[in-house]
Amino acid sequence: MEIRPILSALLRNRTGALLVGLQVAITLAVIANAFFIIASRLEKIRRPTGIDTPNLIFAESEGYAPDYEHAATLSSDLALLKGIAGVVAVTSTNSVPLSGGGSANNYHATPDPKAAPIAGNYFEVNADFIDAYGLTLVAGRAFRAEEFTPVPANNDLPPVLILTETMAKTAFGAEPALGKRLYDENGKSGEVIGIVSDMQGSWLGNTRPGPQDLVFHPNGGFGKTWRYVIRVRPGERDRLLPQIEKALNGSGHGRAIIWVRPHEYWLTRTFRADRRMVVFLSTLVILMTAVTALGIIGLATFQVNARRKQIGTRRALGARRADIVRYFQLENGLLGAGGVVIGALLAYAASGWLTNAFQMPPLPPLYVLASALALLALGQLAVLWPARRAGAIDPAVATRTV
Amino acid sequence: MLDMQHIIKVYRTDLVETHALRDFSVTVAEGEFVAVTGPSGSGKTTFLNIAGLLETPDGGRYQLDGDDVGTLGDDARAGIRNQRIGFIFQGFNLIPDLDVFDNVDVPLRYRGFVTRDRRARIERSLELVGLAARMRHLPSQLSGGQQQRVAIARAIAGDPRFLLADEPTGNLDSLMARQIMDLLAEINRQGTTIVLVTHDPELARRAHRNIHVMDGQVTDLKPYAARGAAPDAAVA
Repeated sequence: MEIRPILSALLRNRTGALLVGLQVAITLAVIANAFFIIASRLEKIRRPTGIDTPNLIFAESEGYAPDYEHAATLSSDLALLKGIAGVVAVTSTNSVPLSGGGSANNYHATPDPKAAPIAGNYFEVNADFIDAYGLTLVAGRAFRAEEFTPVPANNDLPPVLILTETMAKTAFGAEPALGKRLYDENGKSGEVIGIVSDMQGSWLGNTRPGPQDLVFHPNGGFGKTWRYVIRVRPGERDRLLPQIEKALNGSGHGRAIIWVRPHEYWLTRTFRADRRMVVFLSTLVILMTAVTALGIIGLATFQVNARRKQIGTRRALGARRADIVRYFQLENGLLGAGGVVIGALLAYAASGWLTNAFQMPPLPPLYVLASALALLALGQLAVLWPARRAGAIDPAVATRTV
Repeated sequence: MLDMQHIIKVYRTDLVETHALRDFSVTVAEGEFVAVTGPSGSGKTTFLNIAGLLETPDGGRYQLDGDDVGTLGDDARAGIRNQRIGFIFQGFNLIPDLDVFDNVDVPLRYRGFVTRDRRARIERSLELVGLAARMRHLPSQLSGGQQQRVAIARAIAGDPRFLLADEPTGNLDSLMARQIMDLLAEINRQGTTIVLVTHDPELARRAHRNIHVMDGQVTDLKPYAARGAAPDAAVA
C-alpha cells in the first residue's frame, strides 16, 4: 500500500487536504448529533399512545349559566353520547392524553406522609373508561357504576383506584399492586382494585411523573369545565364528529361546547415541533453531506487535473487504471480518516454542550461510528468519478511536452 | 528483441488527420544502443510511444521479445511496461511531492516487490547514478542533471531489459548531458538495450546505430561506422 508516500504528498500540499478534512470533521460532528436528535424525535413521535387514537373523539364542555348543574349535565351528556349510533363507549375525563395539560399528585405507598412520594398523573374518569380509551384490563376489576362520584365533596383520594402497569411497578416494584393502598399527603387512601395496560399520560417526555405513571380516579371533578372521551367504531370518526358536536350543542344545560376534536389533533400539535426538527435536521444532514461530497469531488478533480502529467508518468511506469483509481481512493480514505477522527472529537464536544445546555442525553458511540462509516463511504463514492477519470488518463501524456 | 513491421499510426481530430507513422518498420536487437533521430514532427515520439506500449498502433505488427504486443489490453501493456521497459523522459517526470527514494520506488510498488527487495533495488540504482546520499531530497532540491539521474535510477531499478529515453538531455547543459550519456552507455554495457530519441547528432553518434525518421518513415538504418567521416549528414 502507498500510505506513506500519499501521506507525505498530502502533507506537502496541505491547504486543500486540510480544508476537505476539516469539512469532513465538521460534517461528522453535525450529522452524528443530528442523527441522534432525529432518531430520538422519531422514537418520541412513533411511540404508541396505548389508546385507540384513530377512533377517539374528545369534546370539552364549559358551564356558564348561573343554574348550571354539573352532575346532571354530566349524566345527561354521557347518556346522550352513548345513544349516538356508531359510538362504542364514552367516559368523562379531566385530561386529554398527550395534550400537554393534566393533573398530577404525590402518592405514597404507606400512610406515612414523610415516605418517599410517588408522582402520578391522575385521570378522573367514570366506570366505562377502559373501553372508552381502548385499554385492556390486565388484573383486578374495572370501576363499578356506583363507585363513580360525579361531584366529589372534597379533594381526598377516592376509595378505589386503578393504575397502569407502569405505575403499579413504580409504586410497588415487583410486589403485586392489587389490594394495596395508595395514600395522599393527608393520609387518605384508595385501594388498588385494577391494573390496566399502559397509555401515554398528559405529558410526553416527563421524568416525574413518568409518561406512563397513571392513576385513574372514579370522579367527575369539581369544575364547570369538563371533557368527554368518545370512542367510535373504526372508520366512523370523521362522519360522527360533526354529529356529536351538533348533539352536544343542542342539548342545552347552560353550557357551551368549546371544541370537539379527534385525538390526532393533539398528536399533530404536540409533535409539531418534533416533526419540524426532524425535517430541519434531515435537510441540514442532506445539505452538509452534499456540500462535503462536492468538496471531495472538487478537490479530487482539481488534483486529477493538476497531476495529469504525474498520472501519465505513473501509467507509463506500469500503473494499471485500477492502480490509479485506488491511489485516489486511498488518498481520499486517508483524508476522510483524519477528518472523522477529528470529527468524532468535535461530535462529542458538541454533544457535551447540548447535554449541558438542553439536558439532552449524551451521544451514543453508535451514532458517531455509523456517521463516520457513512461519511467514509460517501467520500469513496464521491471520489470515484474523478478517480476513474484519472485512471483513464493516457500513459502517452508522460511524453507530451505540452 | 524489438520488431516493428509496417506500423501505421494516425491521429484524428474533427478537422485534421495526421499520419504520424506510415509503413514504419524497424528492428532492434538485444543489447543494442540505438539512437532515433529526425526533425520535430517526424514521428520519433510516436515511435517511442508505440515501442514503449504507451500507445497502440493503428496497423502493422509489433513484437517485443517475440510476443505480439501491439494488440494487448491496457492492463497487459501496463504489466509489460512495468516489468520489461524503463522510461527516461525529457522533462524527467519526477513526482514533485515525493522524495528521491519514493520516486524511484514508484514502478517497484506497481511491480509488487516486498519492501526489503524494493529498498535494496532503490539503494543499488541510486548508488549507480551517484545519488545514494540524496535519497530524502525532493526533486526541487536537485539540479536538472541530478533529477535526470534520479529518473534513470527509477528506470533501471526494476532491471528492465529495454530502456526508452526520450530526449533525456534535452533540458540539460552540455556537461550534464555528457554525464547522462556516459551513464546510459554504462547501463548499455551492462546488457540493457537502449533506444534513445534525440535531436542532438552528437549524442546520436554515441549510439551503435542511428535510425533516422522523416515524415513517419525510417529513412536511414545504417550504423555510424558505415557512414564514413560525416555521420551527422545522415541526420541533418
